[in-house]
Amino acid sequence: MKRIKVSDISKNNEEQLLHIKEEELMQLPYIGEAENKGEPVKPLTEKQQAGFEHSLDGVSACTIPKPKDKEEEERFVRSFLEGLKKLISEKDNWTFLQQLLLSLDSCAKCQTCNDACSIYLGSGKQDIYRPTYRSEVLRRIVNKYIKKGGKIFAKLTGSDVDLNWATIARLAELAYRCTMCRRCAASCPLGCDNGLITHELRKLFSEEMGIAAKELHDLGTVQQLKVGASTGITPPAFKDIVQFMEEEIEEKTGKKIKIPVDKKGADILLIHNSGEYLSWLENPEAFAIIFEEAGISWTLSSELYGYEGTNYGVWYDDIQFSRVALKHIEIARKLNVKKIVVGECGHATKALVVIADRILVDDMNFPRESALPLLYDLVCNGKLKLDPTRNNFPVTLHDPCNMVRLMGIVEPQREVLRKICPDFREMEPHGVDNYCCGGGSGFAIMQSMNFPDWRSAVSGRMKMKQILEAFSDVISPEHKKYVCAPCSNCKGQIRELFNYYNVNEKYGIYYGGLVELIVNAMVDIEKPFIEWDWH
Amino acid sequence: MGSAVVIIFYGSILFCLVGVVVRLIKFIKMPVHLKWEFYKGSSIYEQMEWWTKEQVNLWEKVKSTILDVLLLREYYHRNRPFWSVLYLFHLGIYLLILWHVWLFIASVAVEPETASTAGLIWGHTATALAFIGGLGILIKRITDSELKLYYPPLHYIKWVVMLFTLLEAFYAVQYYFDASMPALLKYVKTQVTFGDIEHKLHPPPATAIHVLLASIWLIYLPFSHIMRLFLRYYHYLVYDDVPNVKGGPMEHKIRKLLGLSVSWSAPHIQKGKTWGEVATEIPKELSKGAAGK
Repeated sequence: MKRIKVSDISKNNEEQLLHIKEEELMQLPYIGEAENKGEPVKPLTEKQQAGFEHSLDGVSACTIPKPKDKEEEERFVRSFLEGLKKLISEKDNWTFLQQLLLSLDSCAKCQTCNDACSIYLGSGKQDIYRPTYRSEVLRRIVNKYIKKGGKIFAKLTGSDVDLNWATIARLAELAYRCTMCRRCAASCPLGCDNGLITHELRKLFSEEMGIAAKELHDLGTVQQLKVGASTGITPPAFKDIVQFMEEEIEEKTGKKIKIPVDKKGADILLIHNSGEYLSWLENPEAFAIIFEEAGISWTLSSELYGYEGTNYGVWYDDIQFSRVALKHIEIARKLNVKKIVVGECGHATKALVVIADRILVDDMNFPRESALPLLYDLVCNGKLKLDPTRNNFPVTLHDPCNMVRLMGIVEPQREVLRKICPDFREMEPHGVDNYCCGGGSGFAIMQSMNFPDWRSAVSGRMKMKQILEAFSDVISPEHKKYVCAPCSNCKGQIRELFNYYNVNEKYGIYYGGLVELIVNAMVDIEKPFIEWDWH
Repeated sequence: MGSAVVIIFYGSILFCLVGVVVRLIKFIKMPVHLKWEFYKGSSIYEQMEWWTKEQVNLWEKVKSTILDVLLLREYYHRNRPFWSVLYLFHLGIYLLILWHVWLFIASVAVEPETASTAGLIWGHTATALAFIGGLGILIKRITDSELKLYYPPLHYIKWVVMLFTLLEAFYAVQYYFDASMPALLKYVKTQVTFGDIEHKLHPPPATAIHVLLASIWLIYLPFSHIMRLFLRYYHYLVYDDVPNVKGGPMEHKIRKLLGLSVSWSAPHIQKGKTWGEVATEIPKELSKGAAGK
């Protein structure tokens, strides 16, 4: 395997630094020739290659157009340098400055963190996917171009990265080759947070240069602030969906439920990732069934922003993040509920419950929590009548990074599964040591050009391996198996992985959330709630 | 020459102290960042209404920090082969720091002639451990093709200087002071009490070189990994998991930060407005009123 040096990123040409080859990727169990695609990542078309940056690894996540002339190239470099100065200024970047400087300063270059990275391992240990690679590029740029006298001893101090269009464009793409699962940060003995450096790079590109993955910005936060949800669901459409949910619940379970919407003064405002309403309606339905059965005072909101828990800003832009978080709080205040509970969505939970904590003042500092402790309380303290034998099939648990490693919600979901799934088995490793699904930091929704191929072939490869290994004793398709992923984005990624590797058909593995398993075990529902149909 | 040695020696101590204090103040005065932690296990968020529950005990955090620093536990768990040489080096350095503290105290508190040779064994053992560990680190970083990609020439120079410092210290104690604890303590006493200026102005090469090398390290200390480690744990102890409580000091800090003005240039940001304004006043082209119907 060819070694790629840090300074190679500044080779000012169109030559790809890395060509992804099937034989160099990490081996997967059970996945034979038939499932392997030959070429794991489809090359871009000639037209795409001519128009967009792809010289990092042949993949385009950000669709950065190539410059038309020298002047545009120079403007690009100037804009990057301007942004870099703002990134390390208190005024513009108080939100993460301390952490960023500490991480830029603290790396001992011991490379301990590399083996924690699912992308690096999945790729077959390609240099450019090391957590340390992009951080080191940024560090060397800061040392050379921002620090006083940086250019004088550049050779001696190793500050050998030159700034040009190719360096910056490759770096922008490289910021979208890390899921920000921060497994590397947790494994760094000196507390260097390479995941944060990814976040800060994305921020620089978005807040200064207007460069971001379009699914996160244009179709993500911008769409959310315009129409109410990143999925494009409008308030009237949401009300129709709720009505449909009520009908479907009755059809599936015989239960006539009136789902509370915009109920003022309820104890709980439940916010889901709106992707659930489009792709996995059974999840919000299961929440409604459980909450009604337990007699909880709750409501959904049909107001603009109130039915969409996502906050993609958390992955690339502090300003957009803050705008969306403040909208969520405003809705809860308007409904005069006692607290916000975020459904099964990792990034939405982490964004609103934890990260937003330090932008909220006065009455905007509103109580917020994850749904998992509440579900634990309902299941494990006997508030629902459940029959575990109804879940008598192998179940494994995927730990969403945002809720587990990054919030420390480790046990509630496990306790629930231990209680209601007799054949629950852990993946290895699990808990705070889990591997990301490969769809974190927005990857699960990003569909640009050949990026989905890369996501399944490289970034989700480790998760695929873990899932197959967890079911190795029951791998044949006649055993129906369930991967419980209590997170919308993780579910989206697992769906893509299963399609890419044809796992549902060949091995009978299905995926879904936690609440579906709870409802499936409820004794007063005749038909199984989990229908095992692939979607 | 002699006066230069004196100035460098005491100057480097002063520089080290001032450098450390300035760096700490600069770091501590930086604005509080958004909450962005990771956890090694279960946290308070596993509980319903977590904001009403007890936060992690500070003593638990302090205990964990001390064990991390003394045993380099993270390296032990994550990178065992490297830990073995790294730990030898650090153990040697920790013992050397303690030895110097003991020398300073003993030189004024104990009658030099009564000093035990155990002190000498302590110093030599510490130096040997640090040297073996340091040499191991250097060899690893020279021979490992993966690591070589990341270390600049300056890094290797630093380690060679470190090993030379340790060797020279051993030489000074063993040969210049003739492995005599009383002689060594008398010398340290003159340093600590600022005595025997005449001797300091005409230092023998062995002590002069040691003073120069020690001074280099004192000057480097404020920029070293030791400081970085401190800063890491400072963050862990002070900010980790501290919630923003209504009317509390965190809220006070945040309110001030929301008043800073923003100068980012992307089109979705209103340049020149304050952070609070930018977050709450969404530009027309992004808001429903203009485009969302």
